[in-house]
Amino acid sequence: MHSEAAIREPLILGHKTYHDITQDIVGPIENKAPRGWYVLITIAALIALYGVGCIFWLLSKGIGVWGLNKTVDWAWDITNFVWWVGIGHAGTLISAVLLLFRQKWRMAVNRSAEAMTIFAVIMAAMFPLLHMGRLWLGYWVFPLPNQFGSLWVNFNSPLLWDVFAISTYFSVSLVFWYIGLIPDFATIRDKVTKPGMKKVYGILSFGWSGNAKAWTRFEEVSLVLAGVATPLVFSVHSVVSFDFATSVIPGWHTTIFPPYFVSGAVFSGFAMVQTLLLVMRKVMHLENYITVKHVEYMNIVIIVTGSIVGVAYITELFISWYSGVEYESYAFINRATGPYWWSYWAMMTCNVVSPQVFWFRNLRRNLAFTFFMSIIVNIGMWFERFVIIVTSLHRDYLPSSWNMFHPTWADAGLFLGTIGIFFTLYLLFARYFPVLALNEVKSILKVSGESYKKEAAKHHHH
Amino acid sequence: MSSTKRYWKDLGELHQDPASLEGRGNEFPQDLAIDQVLGDASITGASTGRRDFLKFLGFSLGAASLAACETPVIKSIPYVNKPEDITPGVANWYASTFYDGDDYASILVKTREGRPIHVKGNPRFGINRNPALAKGSINARMNSSVLSLYDSARLTGPVAKGSETPATWADADKAIAAGLAAAAGKRMVLLSNTIISPSTQAAITALKGKYPTLEHVQYDTISYSGVTNANLKSFGKRVFPSYDFTKADVIVSVDADFLSSWGSTSETTWQYASRRNPDMPMNRHFQFEARMSLTGANADVRVPVKVSELAKAVVALHGHISGNPAGADAAMLKATEGAAKALMAAKGRSVVVAGSNNEGVQVLVNSINSMLGNYGSTIDLDAHTHFKQGDDAAVAQLVKDMNAGTVGALLIAGVNPAYSLPNAAEFKSGLAKVGMSVSFSGYADETASLCSWITPDHHYLESWNDFHPKVGQYALGQPAIRPLFDTRQWQESLLTWSGSTTSYHDHIRSVWEANLGSRGLVGSFGDTWNMAVHDGVLTAPVAPSTAPAVFAGDVAAATAAAAKASSGAGSFELSLYTTEAIGSGQHANNPWLQEMPDPLTKITWDNYVCMSPADVKELGLNMYLGEKAPASVVVVKVGDREISLPVVPTPGQKQGTIAIALGYGRGENGEQVGRAACVTNHNGELKPVGRNVYPFTSLVDGLVSYEALNVTVTPSGTTYPVAITQTHLTDMDRHSVVKETSIATYKAGDKSAYNHAHELGVHEDVNGDGVIDARDRKPVAEFDLWQEHPVEGVGHRWGLSIDLNGCIGCGACITACNSENNIPVVGKDEVRRSREMHWLRVDRYFSSDMTKERAKEEGLGKIDMYLQMEVPEESPTVMFMPVMCQHCNHAPCETVCPVAATTHSLEGLNQMAYNRCIGTRYCANNCPYKVRRFNWFNYVTEKFGEVNPAWDDLGRMVLNPDVVVRGRGVIEKCSMCVQQIQAGKLAAKKAGTPVKDGSIETACSAACGTGAIVFGDLNDKKSMVRGLADSDRSYHMLEEIGVKPNVNYLVKVRNTEEAAAHHA
Repeated sequence: MHSEAAIREPLILGHKTYHDITQDIVGPIENKAPRGWYVLITIAALIALYGVGCIFWLLSKGIGVWGLNKTVDWAWDITNFVWWVGIGHAGTLISAVLLLFRQKWRMAVNRSAEAMTIFAVIMAAMFPLLHMGRLWLGYWVFPLPNQFGSLWVNFNSPLLWDVFAISTYFSVSLVFWYIGLIPDFATIRDKVTKPGMKKVYGILSFGWSGNAKAWTRFEEVSLVLAGVATPLVFSVHSVVSFDFATSVIPGWHTTIFPPYFVSGAVFSGFAMVQTLLLVMRKVMHLENYITVKHVEYMNIVIIVTGSIVGVAYITELFISWYSGVEYESYAFINRATGPYWWSYWAMMTCNVVSPQVFWFRNLRRNLAFTFFMSIIVNIGMWFERFVIIVTSLHRDYLPSSWNMFHPTWADAGLFLGTIGIFFTLYLLFARYFPVLALNEVKSILKVSGESYKKEAAKHHHH
Repeated sequence: MSSTKRYWKDLGELHQDPASLEGRGNEFPQDLAIDQVLGDASITGASTGRRDFLKFLGFSLGAASLAACETPVIKSIPYVNKPEDITPGVANWYASTFYDGDDYASILVKTREGRPIHVKGNPRFGINRNPALAKGSINARMNSSVLSLYDSARLTGPVAKGSETPATWADADKAIAAGLAAAAGKRMVLLSNTIISPSTQAAITALKGKYPTLEHVQYDTISYSGVTNANLKSFGKRVFPSYDFTKADVIVSVDADFLSSWGSTSETTWQYASRRNPDMPMNRHFQFEARMSLTGANADVRVPVKVSELAKAVVALHGHISGNPAGADAAMLKATEGAAKALMAAKGRSVVVAGSNNEGVQVLVNSINSMLGNYGSTIDLDAHTHFKQGDDAAVAQLVKDMNAGTVGALLIAGVNPAYSLPNAAEFKSGLAKVGMSVSFSGYADETASLCSWITPDHHYLESWNDFHPKVGQYALGQPAIRPLFDTRQWQESLLTWSGSTTSYHDHIRSVWEANLGSRGLVGSFGDTWNMAVHDGVLTAPVAPSTAPAVFAGDVAAATAAAAKASSGAGSFELSLYTTEAIGSGQHANNPWLQEMPDPLTKITWDNYVCMSPADVKELGLNMYLGEKAPASVVVVKVGDREISLPVVPTPGQKQGTIAIALGYGRGENGEQVGRAACVTNHNGELKPVGRNVYPFTSLVDGLVSYEALNVTVTPSGTTYPVAITQTHLTDMDRHSVVKETSIATYKAGDKSAYNHAHELGVHEDVNGDGVIDARDRKPVAEFDLWQEHPVEGVGHRWGLSIDLNGCIGCGACITACNSENNIPVVGKDEVRRSREMHWLRVDRYFSSDMTKERAKEEGLGKIDMYLQMEVPEESPTVMFMPVMCQHCNHAPCETVCPVAATTHSLEGLNQMAYNRCIGTRYCANNCPYKVRRFNWFNYVTEKFGEVNPAWDDLGRMVLNPDVVVRGRGVIEKCSMCVQQIQAGKLAAKKAGTPVKDGSIETACSAACGTGAIVFGDLNDKKSMVRGLADSDRSYHMLEEIGVKPNVNYLVKVRNTEEAAAHHA
């Protein structure tokens, strides 16, 4: 068996047996949910309902219920879209990229992160649909055979690339996630006693037998999917960034956008994973599986990606000056000192300055502080998209068209609503799905489990 | 035993019981209650048999199904004989004339299937015709007038005071005849605007025949009595002269806004602009004024002076010209020195005009013009106009008599004195004492609603009319539609009351026949008449004047009178003006005009206090106005009259002065004055648009004064939202957006000095010096990121050329575009949110004294530089730039649309397929010119019904059937009037000829009387637009981003350099 250096911190704390792991993960599904869960899902569902109400209001009245105008034709809608897509990046990165890099610590977090990805991408996908003036014709963005003659989509349009990028990413993520769930569903099926649950989990597990051949194929499929998903991690946000990078608008027309957007996405995705997991490990008593070390690893990703983002911001500023282009130069001076200066400095503070505190080991291992920082980063990343979209548009080429954007309650309600829907879905996931990839975690128990490592160390000394 | 088994039904049968056997044939042992069921013996007794029943059944079924199958009845009746001149789908144009007392122009009315839908200037005839361009010049009020035809607030028949429902004309005539008869022995007055119609005069004479005591009092809403009285005193003629600005090398205007409101603007605009071409001798224009007017914005030298200094400036100018500056104000002598020198150098080729209604000022102006020898060249007193005959003194006397109870009957036509008189309250109290008052207004407006009877006049597009605008010039107005309502032309009412039964049309004919019979007609009178109807005008030869006008005014008395206009010591001085959109207020109910941004402030749907930014700052009021940045409200107090209004910082407004527009605040007492005069405000209350400031006018020496020198302005502490279409003031020194230069630089001939082409450095030896270095550059136009559209030299390539020198910023193109392209009106609240739908806008930039060069010299940091660039200088120059879709050949909008809803035509047009649009608005974001407009809501809903003409059935009649009304959720934008292009191409194809240059016009180019907008085929090397596009002044806006527009602009050239030398 593969053995791990003693100096590495154990990834599973305490003395756990395989049975303990099953019990810890499946137990909450079998038992009645704690009262806290009901409270949380009620709140989330109410917010979600409000969001649904806002959606209906939007659809019945028109896009005019938002605060957009003739100069700023995108604002919170696309900000929210990019924000949610960005959040959706961590799941696939953790499950695919880290799988390829054989990072075992991913096993404790990948399931939740992937679920988060799926839900975040659903939230993200809502905005390009809802921002359409005529949603009912939204299917025209697909290259479907149609009765309109030889009418085809415009393959030059980055929005069309978005359609492909997001839908591919969503399908692959969903499949990847579900494949991983199959053995765990089977475990639940085998463990639960209620016939109804047995039946449901039986169906969900696709008749998983758990024999060696199945496991071999499972691992092969996971590897293949990881291979497929890895480029997607980079392509999706690159394509999203093309929406801006291929345009002529100063502040959008920037070649640095693809790497800048991808690192920003990973940055915000990990922050959202932290937000979710830090609560979940406490509520569901998963402290032994999602350890401080896991949190520290993720904080390291945050500091790395945050710094990349910081370098990107500064590069943009430099290029705006170095290019000598009047409009470009003004766009960035305006970002920092114009009417939306506060959003620029909110972005700078949250995304560039504040993650640097994670250079301090005790801070990056401090759970409460990490939680606080994860919120800050998510706020910062929302502002990043707002800054890019709104401050570039509101003062572009012709001063005659310069304008301000003022959000309405419908803008805010819709954003809040997606947060509600997201948490509703996530809470349902936490209640009925195995929140850890329990079979995968079992595979590292003997190597990275605290008691086993200690034992191994003892043997080694002898 | 019998082998045959027997079966029986009952014991009766078994026992062969006779009673039972008897009933055997009956199926039912008891009688059924059929009779009771059918209830009517006659049915059972009827002879209708089964076959008949089936026949009936069949027939009814057949009839019912046939009835059900019937196609819906469409109540359109096809022509039995198709009228020769009406082809469905083909527009008919009728020559007519617009005259509303303020403005006059010869127009063409476009009708489709019998509905007038568009108005443009008559390109062939009329005093407003620019002969060099063959274009009729009209303003936004005129081309928007077609919409007021379809106003649902118009009266549908004669109404007696207090009555809700219209009466019959017979009843009205009877009651009015009785009323007029009862007025015998008292004054009987017809109060009207200036009547320039000979036939109307004849009708009045006819009525006088019956009621000999009838007097005619003329009242101009905006008074020119000061001008006409001055001409009476100076030259013995109480007339408004005819100006010819084409002959003027130097124009000095003291507060006369002759490009927007002063005098006969449909003439002065094109005349002025025809001399603004830098390739021809350019005029030099000096403007002295307190507020920044449209005219001032176009001036080469604009000198801001206080309201009280305007008269002093005229006195000083007079001093300079007469060589006797004694008594003139020293500061004004200095300020007018440059203008005086220029005038002296252009004797007989100059003109001085003043906007003041002060008789003394106008006598001095006459004296100046007389000394300069301008009479007979730029000013014509012989072939004078018939405009502005109003007499303030007569009106004042009338009001006095009304209050004294000596007026027995008052007929009111074309004016609204209860709204617009300085002493409107007195007028109202007097009106109550008049025995019989009749208004001819089409609406139950402020005055009409107080009259005993309203006998509504037709809309002018429903009327026959004739006009005599100038000596020797006649014009006809012909109806373009049958009257929509039970209205009657007011002149016909006069004829009816005089006992005549002639129709007004016949009356006009007979008047013309009588007047023109002797005037050397071609052919019969019928021929002449038909020609006049066809052309809209008739020019009768006038003998040229022999005696030059000799000035006989009293300069000393005039100077003393002018001094009165200079005395005052208030903290603020107020001037009242009329806006380009609303005018004197009679068009306040027109939604197109209300939503047309003011040329200078870009504010819609309101009037406000124009105040210099320095004063705004000093009073601590809001400087920046926008969607969520409302204007501060102040209380303006003139004498004992107070009105609260929002304050708009207006660059160029002289410090210590304010200006407020007249014509707003219609229907303050709930009168039904029309669709858009009252709208629901931000608090959900139905309120008049703006406030009426006519109460701030006053009578000074018997003349209406539009100035007040003792005004207090008190901040009220409240705010008021205003709807602005352009919130930024300056051009941020962006030279590839607007380009301007001085005449000297232009004449020097070095194009790169004023129209520098953008270049990019390349890695090849362009200049052939053997080294590749920074000097190896190529013009941006030579670079192409994409494959070029095959437009150059292939087929047509439509384009527009816009001359920034020709554009005076009037905005007639905006309303013409609204009318042609069915642009929805969205109302104040949506405009406040920057969601106006105009396809064409006129950008206005004030100059700032901070430039990139200056910042470099002063070592100023970029942040400070940009902040200072945002602030206009104290007395800025102004640029107007009409911007529509630039129809880029490398259109950024086309590449980003995911569904290819916007594409490029083979003729260079950027096309928008509304049906395909799903509304992502990506195109709008990626448009560097921000010309794309999104349908945020469905504008054809009740929410916008208050303002959008397309909402009600009547208003919808104004829509152009060639252009679709866009639904919610799609992007729209300028199509370069593709429907006109298609129609023009078809006409050429049918004629078998190539498309002739000038045969196709876009709505904006047709509306532009100054010829600033020229449309044509860029592939036609001989076309005017191609010539302009190839000229040295031509440039593409934002050339360096490489979108290759089909719209080009011509650099603005100001005639300033020498003027500056004069100044120094």
